[in-house]
Amino acid sequence: MAKLTPRMRNWLEGLGAHIGTATKKGFPTVIVVDKAKVEGDNIVKFQLTDAQVQQIKQNIEENPRVALGPGGLGSIRAAYQFKGNARLEGNTLIVEVNEIYCTKPGPEAGLRLDVLPYESILKFESTRWRDQGPPK
Amino acid sequence: MKLTEEMKDALSVIGGGGAVVHLTTCSADGKPNTVAERFVGVFKDEYIVIADMFAQKTRANLLENPIGVITIAHPVKGRTWAFRGPTTIMQEGLPEDYEFHGAVAKEVLEEWGNWAEKEPPSEVPPDIKPPKLVQRGVIIMKVEECYSYKPEEAGKKVL
Repeated sequence: MAKLTPRMRNWLEGLGAHIGTATKKGFPTVIVVDKAKVEGDNIVKFQLTDAQVQQIKQNIEENPRVALGPGGLGSIRAAYQFKGNARLEGNTLIVEVNEIYCTKPGPEAGLRLDVLPYESILKFESTRWRDQGPPK
Repeated sequence: MKLTEEMKDALSVIGGGGAVVHLTTCSADGKPNTVAERFVGVFKDEYIVIADMFAQKTRANLLENPIGVITIAHPVKGRTWAFRGPTTIMQEGLPEDYEFHGAVAKEVLEEWGNWAEKEPPSEVPPDIKPPKLVQRGVIIMKVEECYSYKPEEAGKKVL
């Protein structure tokens, strides 16, 4: 099971994510939410507007798989991609993350992180980035 | 669909006033992939181009399901746009006359096949400059629609 690090959590909570969804036949729709709440090891919750729910409801119902790319400055500094399954509870999109990738440009783009021991992920982060989240 | 001047400005490298974007593709059975892209440009007012720097999953997805969404990620500055349309990757070795929704590969690659020369990485802020700019080809989208991702009007047609 994937476990988000404090750095991942801080970026997601601080600046949200671009959320990729698709029909089961692969027609994509993306919504953008500028903050999130992380609960437990791998649950990310987004509060959506009615318009956003309307836009992705059908996709999530027929195909719960989603991809999250950190929003704002996170698109540069938090080079991660999170994949998982989502469901809607009212206007809350609840994502259970089960894959985490490094998307830092260069030789480590696409490296899967969640398969590493948790301590190794922390070590990987500490040698690639200096911050622990977005600037206050 | 022709992109506006404001859109063309946003869709250029971040050092040149443009923005980092997220590119979303998905497998034919609908598993999405959303990754940030830093080298972005416009071809003939109707296509968005991105340097393909060995985007693995993106490539696999586009080979079986040639469609994508591009969203402005940073800086947004009110440019809350999502562009959607047929998307592919062009690279050297394609037939001379290979065409994708009106874009001829030879012309695209002549203009955008060597980003390092056209827009040298020195123009890109050092903190987002990749260690080495190695380009395999050009990801190209024919923009067919643009919708707003602004939360309160998400999905509203912009163009």
